[in-house]
Amino acid sequence: MTALSMTAEQSQAALATDGDMREKISVRNLNFYYGGFHALRNINLPLFDKRVTAFIGPSGCGKSTLLRILNRIYDLYPNQRAEGEVLLDGENLLSPKQDLNLLRARVGMVFQKPTPFPMSIYDNVAYGIRLYEKLSRADMDVRVEEALRKTALWGEVKDKLRQSGLSLSGGQQQRLCIARAVAVRPAVLLLDEPTSALDPISTSKIEELVDELKPDYCIAIVTHNMQQAARVSDFTAFMYLGELVEYGATDTIFTAPKEEKTEQYITGRFG
Amino acid sequence: MDMAVKASDISAESPRARTQRRNDLLFRSATLFFALLVLTLLGGVIISLIHGALPALKAFGFGFVTTEIWNPVTEKFGALAPIYGTLVTSVIAMLVGVPVSFGIAIFLTELCPAWAKRPIGIAVELLAGIPSIIYGIWGLFVFAPFLQKTVQPFLINTLGNVPGIGAWFKGPPYGIGVLTAGLILAIMILPFITSITRDVFETMPTMLRESAYGLGATTWEVVRDITIPYTRVGLVGGVMLGLGRALGETMAVTFVIGNSHHIASSLLAPGTTISAAIANEFTEAVGDTYTSSLIALGLVLFIITFIVLSLAKLMLVRMNRKAGT
Repeated sequence: MTALSMTAEQSQAALATDGDMREKISVRNLNFYYGGFHALRNINLPLFDKRVTAFIGPSGCGKSTLLRILNRIYDLYPNQRAEGEVLLDGENLLSPKQDLNLLRARVGMVFQKPTPFPMSIYDNVAYGIRLYEKLSRADMDVRVEEALRKTALWGEVKDKLRQSGLSLSGGQQQRLCIARAVAVRPAVLLLDEPTSALDPISTSKIEELVDELKPDYCIAIVTHNMQQAARVSDFTAFMYLGELVEYGATDTIFTAPKEEKTEQYITGRFG
Repeated sequence: MDMAVKASDISAESPRARTQRRNDLLFRSATLFFALLVLTLLGGVIISLIHGALPALKAFGFGFVTTEIWNPVTEKFGALAPIYGTLVTSVIAMLVGVPVSFGIAIFLTELCPAWAKRPIGIAVELLAGIPSIIYGIWGLFVFAPFLQKTVQPFLINTLGNVPGIGAWFKGPPYGIGVLTAGLILAIMILPFITSITRDVFETMPTMLRESAYGLGATTWEVVRDITIPYTRVGLVGGVMLGLGRALGETMAVTFVIGNSHHIASSLLAPGTTISAAIANEFTEAVGDTYTSSLIALGLVLFIITFIVLSLAKLMLVRMNRKAGT
């Protein structure tokens, strides 16, 4: 299989009409290993600021693995190791000198299932902020409200901020988790199949949310749902068996894919 | 030829079906009998405890648990000193044992490199397997003299001069005493609380843990703010199980507590616990009131541990229900 990966320059040229595109993250010659298993092979890919990049591909293709490298959450586990470079604003985040906690504050992540912390709705959002900033009561209230408004949750929870985060519905919990990630004011937002445990209405709310958050963040979303990728993303990366098969503008990938494998996948012939 | 018989050919009245029904009934009644045996034993123990304790309870009434006097000569018995000793040694054991156990469990689940996990885990379990008599002789011959020479003089010279709590650390360093018993108990309950705490920590969903780390929290912050609140109920249950053991532990405590039916303000002074008093005095208990008073002590201990263990079970059940949803 030929791993065709468009360089940043090429894709920028392809989308020359968009003036303000900036490469936020550059993945270069990235390899990843679970013990002896070579899970990602030589990945090269840009992630642009103020754009949504979707990762699609069949289960086990490495798309979640790739996302987990971007905030080095894989580092929690022994025997998992990445080689190559991932530049965030030009700085290699795989460097051993990288402060992991600061990195994770800059690169927020939302998981497959809602994971509200065992505390109140207010504290769920304030938690991440408190880790890094000492704010007055009033300033904190403003930050929490801002994050909850951004995630369209404010209207639903403003009268019950003191209630447990677990008392919300699944869709609300997931938006709470996004609010929690956004509250820290990260530069990058990683969404790992954020709607896989949600009903269609909650799913569409999350998708609208991704659209609204786009002007402020560099967003990467892993999804099993190709319609979702087509709806929310500007760029799409199709991965298969640990390799990046094709990367490009979402419209191009879904209407005129260059690789046969991509076409087979998006037309539902495998995966 | 039997092999050719199809299941559908066997009528409900055939000998084969009847044998099956009979065996099944036999099997069911046998297991039911064993299960009921447990309840009968528990009930029997309670009844005989109450029965044995009645003479003492009649003689001293409620005063039995509120008086300190323990005089075999005049046959006046009060359980306050052993009850006090039992509770104080257990509290010391908890104060020392729980933080250390939590520390070990946190290290094992969050920080420990993979190669050290098994050896440390096994060491903790082996610690639980040491018979209590060995803790007793080790406590008497090694630990108590060590405390007498080093820790206790230090406590007397430092904390002993602090107003208020100073009273706990006054008096001569005997070596044996309430504090020593509490520390031995702390060592003994450590493996129990550690292994339960570790199991409870491991019920924490990976994704929840990763979300906390994903926000930039340090291990300490994740444990303090997420893991402990999330597993709170289970942790309390584990601590209660440890407490139940500390309350009832006999052999090691009897060796190192000094066995004095006197409530001293100092923790360095000798004291006694319910189980230590019973173990020490049963052989020399002459007279019905003396024997009955010792049995009544047993009843008091039974009630205390029963309450503690019921609370522990209740909390563990509640936690499992929460984890199940």
